[in-house]
Amino acid sequence: MQPLNVYALRETFNQERILLCFNGPFTALLIEEIGTALRQHLQALEAAPSAVADVFAVYIEMTQNIRRYTLQQNLSEARAISTLVVSQAEAGHYILSSGNVVTLADGQRLVNRVGELAVLDKAALKAAFKAQLRRPRDTLDGDSAGLGLIDMARKATAPLQALVLPVDEEYAFFQLHVVL
Amino acid sequence: MTNLEIAQTNSTPGIEADWDSGLLRLRGDSYPENSFALFQPVVEWVETYLRDTQRPLRLELELLYLNTSSVRALMDILDQLEDAHQEQRPVSVTWLYDAANERVADLAEEFKEDCTFPFEIVAKT
Repeated sequence: MQPLNVYALRETFNQERILLCFNGPFTALLIEEIGTALRQHLQALEAAPSAVADVFAVYIEMTQNIRRYTLQQNLSEARAISTLVVSQAEAGHYILSSGNVVTLADGQRLVNRVGELAVLDKAALKAAFKAQLRRPRDTLDGDSAGLGLIDMARKATAPLQALVLPVDEEYAFFQLHVVL
Repeated sequence: MTNLEIAQTNSTPGIEADWDSGLLRLRGDSYPENSFALFQPVVEWVETYLRDTQRPLRLELELLYLNTSSVRALMDILDQLEDAHQEQRPVSVTWLYDAANERVADLAEEFKEDCTFPFEIVAKT
């Protein structure tokens, strides 16, 4: 077996200016621990307090959405493997990218939803957030307030980008990119 | 009725509700996976306090980051205060924040928009 080419991996990380990367099944504890490390790492890089707050907020919404979905769908261990990447863009900007396995139907639904949000300006996103916030509790999906994607779109400096890659006849890999 | 005391953790706020002084305090980060379960005892405490007493209720917040389900849970609590205010009960919110963290002030301002009772947002010096 070929040993892992750590150098090539490192080159990719450097080229993409990746600050943090996780690949595996998320647990509540991992989300918390990685989040704490992410905050401290950004503070050590002297990121502005508002940038640290925004990156952390999007990180939490992304990972908790993935975990909630994975649990709801009762995905197998292999399908629960999810990817989270935090990278640096130009001065003061950050990109959060995530990927996780979803059903084909949910993947399409998510891409459509991201597309609907992409055409909204900040004022319309705020109105959408408040409308969702006012939805009766019994119309919500379990523990989810249904606010995560709208919140990410509000914090982003560019429209969210989503992509689905089919992996088999039933499932797809859903990717989400948030530029802060 | 009893007081409420829930210790602060990395992902959940410290919660203190004092029946005699009519003071409810929340401080710290709030991003548990099950925010509705975390805040349910608080919602119940506020409901009981407002029903069983005629005294004022003061909410003192020193919250930092809230995930969106915590935002929803806190809004439900502020709605309880708003309803009480509409019935002429004295209720108020003071939200203390670190002046360096403007995102907390933005969040507090957004909650305040939907409240007609006294709602102070105070930068700590």
